[in-house]
Amino acid sequence: MAIDTNGSSPSGYGPDHPAPVIEPPRARTRRTPRTTRTNFEMYGWLFMRVSGILLVVLVITHLMIQLVLDGGVSKVSFAFVAGRWASPFWQAWDLIMLWLAMLHGGLGLRTIINDYAQRDGTRFWLKMLLYTATVFTVLLGTLVIFTFDPNIS
Amino acid sequence: MATPTLEKQPAADTGHLVTVTFRIRRFDPERSADAYWQDFELRIDPKERVLDGLHQIKWEHDGSLTFRRSCAHGICGSDAMRINGKNRLACKVLIKDIADVKDGVGTKPVVIEAMKGMTVLKDLIVDMDPFFQAYRDMMPFLITSGNEPTRERRQSPRDRERFDDTTKCILCAACTSSCPVFWNDGQYFGPAAIVNAHRFIFDSRDEGGEQRLEILNDRDGVWRCRTIFNCTDACPRGIQVTKAIQEVKQALITRRF
Amino acid sequence: MTTAMQIHKYDTVIVGAGGAGMRAAIEATKRSRTAVLTKLYPTRSHTGAAQGGMAAALANVEDDNWEWHTFDTVKGGDYLVDQDAAEILAKEAIDSVLDLEKMGLPFNRTPEGRIDQRRFGGHSRNHGEAPVRRSCYAADRTGHMILQTLYQNCVKEGVEFFNEFYVLDLLLNDVAGVRSTAGVVAYELATGELHVFQAKAVVFASGGNGKFYRVTSNAHTLTGDGQAAAFRRGLPLEDMEFFQFHPTGIWKMGILLTEGARGEGGILRNKDGERFMEKYAPVMKDLASRDVVSRSIYTEIREGRGCGPEGDHVYLDLTHLPPEQLDAKLPDITEFARTYLGIEPYTDPIPIQPTAHYAMGGIPTNVRGEVLANNTDVVPGLYAAGEVACVSVHGANRLGTNSLLDINVFGRRAGVAAAEYAATAGFVDLPEAPAQFVADEVERMRDATGNERVTEIRKALQDTMDKNAMVFRTEQTLKEALEEITALRSRYRNVSVQDKGRRYNTDLLEALELGNLLELAEVLVFSALARKESRGGHYREDYPNRDDVNFMRHTMAYRETDTEGNESIRLDYKPVVQTRYQPTERKY
Repeated sequence: MAIDTNGSSPSGYGPDHPAPVIEPPRARTRRTPRTTRTNFEMYGWLFMRVSGILLVVLVITHLMIQLVLDGGVSKVSFAFVAGRWASPFWQAWDLIMLWLAMLHGGLGLRTIINDYAQRDGTRFWLKMLLYTATVFTVLLGTLVIFTFDPNIS
Repeated sequence: MATPTLEKQPAADTGHLVTVTFRIRRFDPERSADAYWQDFELRIDPKERVLDGLHQIKWEHDGSLTFRRSCAHGICGSDAMRINGKNRLACKVLIKDIADVKDGVGTKPVVIEAMKGMTVLKDLIVDMDPFFQAYRDMMPFLITSGNEPTRERRQSPRDRERFDDTTKCILCAACTSSCPVFWNDGQYFGPAAIVNAHRFIFDSRDEGGEQRLEILNDRDGVWRCRTIFNCTDACPRGIQVTKAIQEVKQALITRRF
Repeated sequence: MTTAMQIHKYDTVIVGAGGAGMRAAIEATKRSRTAVLTKLYPTRSHTGAAQGGMAAALANVEDDNWEWHTFDTVKGGDYLVDQDAAEILAKEAIDSVLDLEKMGLPFNRTPEGRIDQRRFGGHSRNHGEAPVRRSCYAADRTGHMILQTLYQNCVKEGVEFFNEFYVLDLLLNDVAGVRSTAGVVAYELATGELHVFQAKAVVFASGGNGKFYRVTSNAHTLTGDGQAAAFRRGLPLEDMEFFQFHPTGIWKMGILLTEGARGEGGILRNKDGERFMEKYAPVMKDLASRDVVSRSIYTEIREGRGCGPEGDHVYLDLTHLPPEQLDAKLPDITEFARTYLGIEPYTDPIPIQPTAHYAMGGIPTNVRGEVLANNTDVVPGLYAAGEVACVSVHGANRLGTNSLLDINVFGRRAGVAAAEYAATAGFVDLPEAPAQFVADEVERMRDATGNERVTEIRKALQDTMDKNAMVFRTEQTLKEALEEITALRSRYRNVSVQDKGRRYNTDLLEALELGNLLELAEVLVFSALARKESRGGHYREDYPNRDDVNFMRHTMAYRETDTEGNESIRLDYKPVVQTRYQPTERKY
């Protein structure tokens, strides 16, 4: 008994050969995910909020000193940096700022990649690139802060 | 004499009808692998619902247009869909409110498509199974221990009020499928599941809150929420969805510290 | 190529996942291997639309007992109620409410933390003395809460659902001369495949059939699929002429505005602002039973006191109630008025008209939920509960809040009885080619090239039912309706659908549903013609009085097919069970 009275469409699809449907990314499976019983996600979420607030203070103060006060940006030179990093206080300030900014920014970018990268492969490689860049920047920055030599020629 | 009101049929009185274009995203895997847009021009009373417009198309123009519906007044949750880019129940949106009618003609087409982030099976019908799976993962039932009382469990009106908002959920999926996080990661439990967890976490009679919080504390839980408020906007029952999610987050943080 | 078919085997199969179906499933799943077949996702069922509450003589806020509740039920049903069943309903009401509370249902509470109760139409203290607070409620979404709570407990019990499976046929087979239940045939909407479910016990809980009226509070999906399947297989339908018209539906749309609105103090007014119910029911006033209020509204309209330019509705006035009370107790219906009418209920009265609401009749069962094959014998293994069934606890007119009670009390009973039966009984052999009837029907419908459209026939059916078989009926209007339906049934044979596909073919489904509606509308009108009296929801203008001598009995309608294949309806009658309350005149 013929069912496909509407004839086979030019696409070749019909009641017996339906076209594939498009699944959304990462559909929920029948299995309930096992809980890890850790607070990692919560600490991650809290870290983003707390570091955000700290960064507002750190970065605005940093920008004021660097760009506005005492003659503005023209004062910044090798000597100025050397003078600042002679003090452990400013060393710590810049170190915290570097770490928080990189982790905060890195985690934020990770979220954006998760949201916008459609394919698993793209997502994986973009994140690898991000992690590499973050680790490299953090390590290099930390190295510079601690090994800065004001007498270099 | 028969039932009186119905003898005076508004016979050929069509002066109040307006012309509105419905632009619908069609998909039928038995015909083509590609979805496409189709326009229908309707003569319809502007006070009718979008669902009435869909019915008019199905009943008078194209019987193959497929969508779910049942109660037609916003309590069964069958007909959630994307109307002019926002998730709405087709039976709760009136034509006059979205078609921008001027001089008897709708100046803007009513654009209708299936909910996002879910597998489209045909026209406006999506696969609801993953959505209900997320709901079931929340253990959405009263968990208690000890012997049952002979009469009812007591609960003060204030305790009852605490979770009233989230008991209104009809599981239509309008919130979950309006969430950008969910669009990109279907393993996120989504607002609807969290709303239903909230309903029990904050029920003074329930003792399973800890287990639900544990699930929601994990990777696919509440921490994925970025307070975008799409869900609150989409909820046809007026539930403060984002607020409910925030309350669960708060419960998790205060539990820890 | 024929339609694909699969066979499943379950102890108990439940058809429908509304209140009654899920209540039965919770019991049956604990006791037997159970499948629930539902044409909608469970939480879409129309139980969710119930607003007002669920009656039970808890006596939480004032003196009350289940005997008064029994009396109110019997009187409300105009004495056509089987009193043994009404007694069970009222007695088990208390435990059903408490069970739901223990399952997690968030009832509104009294200051002491008990379940709060409010007044409702027809419920009275001490046999009609004054209104009593008996309805347990959760704002004005009690049905929604019941549906959600029952689904939640189905999740807890691990009930196996087959969602969007549409049951089209009941399979019976002879066992030692007795027609016994073999299973059901279902159509899977997603794929268009047929599934035969062989089962020891089948519970029908597929809901009502109000969609043959145009102005109705019923969902699009309430098309009497269960009643029609049983009827086609030669089983009787009881008291189908009794249909309830709810007094307060939104004008023209039929969307329900709960009786709870009047329970909270809402008043019905005509165009002169008069509280007209004082004339018709001096004691209960706006809270008289639904048939009385619906008739009073239409009497006002017919005598020229209706509101609006057409004079075709009256007002439900809530404006004297404080907005806080409306927000707390009636949030949903005030929102309906705003959404669909653009009216602010704080300040403006709401236009309403009676709306087709509830089928008192259905598949006849006894108090265990067992389906009757005639006045005395049961069909082994077949059960029914909820609106699809007729126990009969509602008689000629159902009291408000008694349907949520019915689904819980008799849903539970049917679930237990079905599972217990399945535990001892064996499988009945499937008839030869079990799905043939349905396969032929489905394929005929899909391949048909006739020029009749489902829409036109359905519209004609709804028009004639609204015009001729609603609140007021006469011999003449009913005959007109019957002729029209007979004509529509022959037109229906030439119906064709546009969607020829197999996946999610809702076009085909609507055509099949129309077939059910036509079948049941004919039974309603045929039974109504024969009942030459007025009783409860059935009001004959040519016979305006109740006639206990000739009609104190239930109608039993059977489908008969002669040797040439011509179909007709045969009516029989069944005595009413009376225990304690003798029929008296019914006044409110």
